[in-house]
Amino acid sequence: MTTTRRDILKGAGALTLASAIGAPMRVRAEGKVLKIGQLGVMSGPEASWGLVNKYSAMATAEMYNARGGVEIDGELYRIEIVSVDDRNDPKLTVSGAERLTGEEGIRYFIGPNMDTTATSVRPIAEKNQAMYIPYAFDRSLYTAPARNAILGMIASYQVAPVMYKILRDERGVKKVAFLARNDSDGLLQRDEAVKVAEGLGLEILAQDTYEPSVTDFFPVVANIVGQNPDLIVMSAVAPAHCPQIMRSAREMGYVGLFSSEAAQDIKIIREVAGEYGDGLVSIGGASTPEIRSAYMEDFIEKYNAVAGEWNDEAGTKAYALEMILMTLRRTGAAGIGDIALFQKAVDGFSERNPFLKEDAALTYVGMADYGQKRQIGVPMVITETKGGDFTTLSIGSVAS
Amino acid sequence: MEQILVNGAILAANYALIALGITLIFSIMNVLNFAHGQMFMFGGLIVYWTVAQLGLPYAVGLAMAAVAVGLIGMAFEVFFFRRVMRDSTREENTMLLAVGTALLLENAALSLFGEKQRGIPPIVTGVYRIGDAFLPANRALVFGISLVLIVAILLFVTYSKTGRAMRALAQDRTATLLMGVDTARISTLGFGLGAALAGIAGGLLITVSGVNAGIGTAISTKAFIMIMIGGAGVVSGALLGAVALGFIEAFGYAYLPGSLTYLMIFVALILFLLIRPQGIMGKPWG
Amino acid sequence: MAQIDTSPPAVVQPPARSGAGRFLLVFAPLAALLLIGVPLFLGGMPYWLNVVTNACLLSFGSLGVWLTFSIGRVNIAQGAFALIGGYTVGLLTTALGLSFWVALPLAGLFAAVIGFVIGWPLLRLRGIYFAMVTLSLTEAVRLVFLNIGNLGGAGSVTNIPTPPGIASPMDFYLFAAVLLLVGYAGIWRLQESRIGGVFRSMRQNEELAASIGIDVALYRAMAFTICCFMGGIAGGAFASLQQNVYPQTYTVSDSINFMLYCFLGGLEFVLGPIVGTFALVIAFELLRAIQEYQALLYGILMIVVMLFLPNGLLSLRRLLGGRE
Repeated sequence: MTTTRRDILKGAGALTLASAIGAPMRVRAEGKVLKIGQLGVMSGPEASWGLVNKYSAMATAEMYNARGGVEIDGELYRIEIVSVDDRNDPKLTVSGAERLTGEEGIRYFIGPNMDTTATSVRPIAEKNQAMYIPYAFDRSLYTAPARNAILGMIASYQVAPVMYKILRDERGVKKVAFLARNDSDGLLQRDEAVKVAEGLGLEILAQDTYEPSVTDFFPVVANIVGQNPDLIVMSAVAPAHCPQIMRSAREMGYVGLFSSEAAQDIKIIREVAGEYGDGLVSIGGASTPEIRSAYMEDFIEKYNAVAGEWNDEAGTKAYALEMILMTLRRTGAAGIGDIALFQKAVDGFSERNPFLKEDAALTYVGMADYGQKRQIGVPMVITETKGGDFTTLSIGSVAS
Repeated sequence: MEQILVNGAILAANYALIALGITLIFSIMNVLNFAHGQMFMFGGLIVYWTVAQLGLPYAVGLAMAAVAVGLIGMAFEVFFFRRVMRDSTREENTMLLAVGTALLLENAALSLFGEKQRGIPPIVTGVYRIGDAFLPANRALVFGISLVLIVAILLFVTYSKTGRAMRALAQDRTATLLMGVDTARISTLGFGLGAALAGIAGGLLITVSGVNAGIGTAISTKAFIMIMIGGAGVVSGALLGAVALGFIEAFGYAYLPGSLTYLMIFVALILFLLIRPQGIMGKPWG
Repeated sequence: MAQIDTSPPAVVQPPARSGAGRFLLVFAPLAALLLIGVPLFLGGMPYWLNVVTNACLLSFGSLGVWLTFSIGRVNIAQGAFALIGGYTVGLLTTALGLSFWVALPLAGLFAAVIGFVIGWPLLRLRGIYFAMVTLSLTEAVRLVFLNIGNLGGAGSVTNIPTPPGIASPMDFYLFAAVLLLVGYAGIWRLQESRIGGVFRSMRQNEELAASIGIDVALYRAMAFTICCFMGGIAGGAFASLQQNVYPQTYTVSDSINFMLYCFLGGLEFVLGPIVGTFALVIAFELLRAIQEYQALLYGILMIVVMLFLPNGLLSLRRLLGGRE
């Protein structure tokens, strides 16, 4: 049977249907709308990093929209999140940013999640006058002359000194081995961490790397485990890989501690590492049960409704959209289209932190590391996994 | 050293199932199953769903993975490949279709299962010692199951009527047709069996290292490397390729910095193929 | 019972019009669309101009892959040569301060030389072996660039300057469109010439071609080298457009995409890769609105086209005009 005319028509019909579905869907809402972008990696092993950004933004938007929207200059704005998956591909990040800032006219977006994608977006953001909140630690993004990026979490080189000091003083760690993801994020974090470790007098036994596409970590950890370190530092480890590394190392007889300066996901750790999941010291979500407020509990509820399940990282990523909105309320409606007003407001910004039980100020920080205030002052929470849950080891903050 | 050998052996057994599956499909249908890695991934996720979400025993989960992925393979053959192979003017068009099916499976998995890394607790706990080496009991079990399956497949292909029909089809399609064999049915079964093997491999590996919706391409690439080393379309080649890759990886990770291992594998492979294009055991092309 | 295929042979006999006439029949509307139509309709939308610029550059790379198809090889290495071209332009413009207009041809040349050296022995392989070897090549080149970074060289190149003389998205688009048209004309001319005839005969039966005295090794290498040249140019231009290049800028997926674009458009026609690229790139962008199911629909779309039009979109013309 050869392809008949009827088949052609069926095919054409299918194509038309697909394109009709694909045509941009615009829900015309009443009243004013504030569009906020979200650009991040939402597929692949790092998918949870971008998805947590998306769900956190949607949860915050839900919280405001349930009350009619965010109030700026006396008017209510419904918040609309425009979300783009860059699949960790700098080419897609660039075109996604063009779409958000050019086509959609958005001036504020959350993301990207990796050094490579965040640096690739910088020229677009600067050209199209947009502010963005990356979750990548490359200093060049936040140091002058760069002015458009605001780091949304604690950087690896900020938490490392605190973390290693605790481990050295309280847990007797003397010998450290580094296992870094072989891409620019991993190697950058590894190099910075090595400097910190050396500065604290720790002995560095090995520095191994692994490809992001590795599926079986058993052979990967063999060398490091054989050297018998007290601590294995996993630089830029993805939430999908961390428990695999832990399990492989423990199965191979490793009895020391693990640490990660990137946020992890306890559910995956429980599922994949099971009983081997204890002993991971990592940067935690900035809203642990001990310190969170009722507002945070409301966010958690909205997040669960949107995402289907909680993710510890959302405790930190909750801050991004909230900070944008709070700063815009300071600048007034003019700030929605003019980022210069936003940048001015950043310097003197101080509000009560809505996510914390106790009365603490929430400001922008970063003077020490970047020479300008280009970081959200989220609490620095260090956690350790015990019995399948995160327990809080220490709570602090970046000084200024 | 013993640890490296143990690692190599268990990697080889894991990879052998994958290599067997893709070789089966290629030998019968002359189609390079680009979606093989995605089928592996699907198998793992189905096991996760039945064990972690539905609470059924692991054996049930594994059986379901095999059946489900096998059915997917058969559906691909009947609805997609058969039609395109008949209607298209160039044989490379089936390769395009294979890539399309890979994309389809990957994104279906993403929609159905989400993007998170999924794993299940080991089927058995505990760690054995072999000299200086550690061998987790769970990995030993997976190794054992893989070996049993490999032997079963080899017996099936060598002695059973359907298996012999598949081998005949792989050797000479026209002759097999003239012998009165229902080549369409055998092709479908072959594709389904190859797919099921990938699904089982994924279902076994999820107890060891976990699976997420994005690992498809990496697994497919490994499958290609194995059949390049061992020779496409030949079962002994598949096994050889699996053993080779398993041990090269084990040694490489132990002695070389991370990514150099794979760079060396690729460079060595390219050079090797220049000398012997059909792999160690393969039938020469054309 | 097996059916015996009685449909007309696969190779379409070109109608008996003059070569130039046939060329202009396609080229003129294409040029009008790209140089007049697009600026007219998309002039005020920099985002869509960017999309079409991407499509033009990707088409240029796909044309190269089409050329290797014409000698009967499935080439999944174009991503590697795009990466080489990208790094060349990136390093020459940043580290050496050369102008883009000097760096770009050098990038193409460098990619071509590497393609020739690697390709000469590799082209002995055929079928899936060649396909898999080229797939390995893409990965190998990516790993090389990744490891050069580790050894202290430039792992990634950022802050690549925009080309001098190009100030706006429209300028870059016009450059890309002209580049594409030149590429199309060149490949078309090649395909019509004696060399193209040699390529076609080699695709039909390489042994037969060799037996009548054709130096198949040389002609294979020629096709592959031109393909790599075009890949290098495409990658180099892209690096300047994005103003950065990383080891993961071109992965196996990108190499597969180049191949897909050719297939989708139709391997029998030089216009095929261009049609395929534009169709897929634009479809992908249009699907962005439904971010969640974007990739799923993309995959479904591809399968649907493959099922109903296994010989590519351009075969629609033949089917509608001809048989029932």
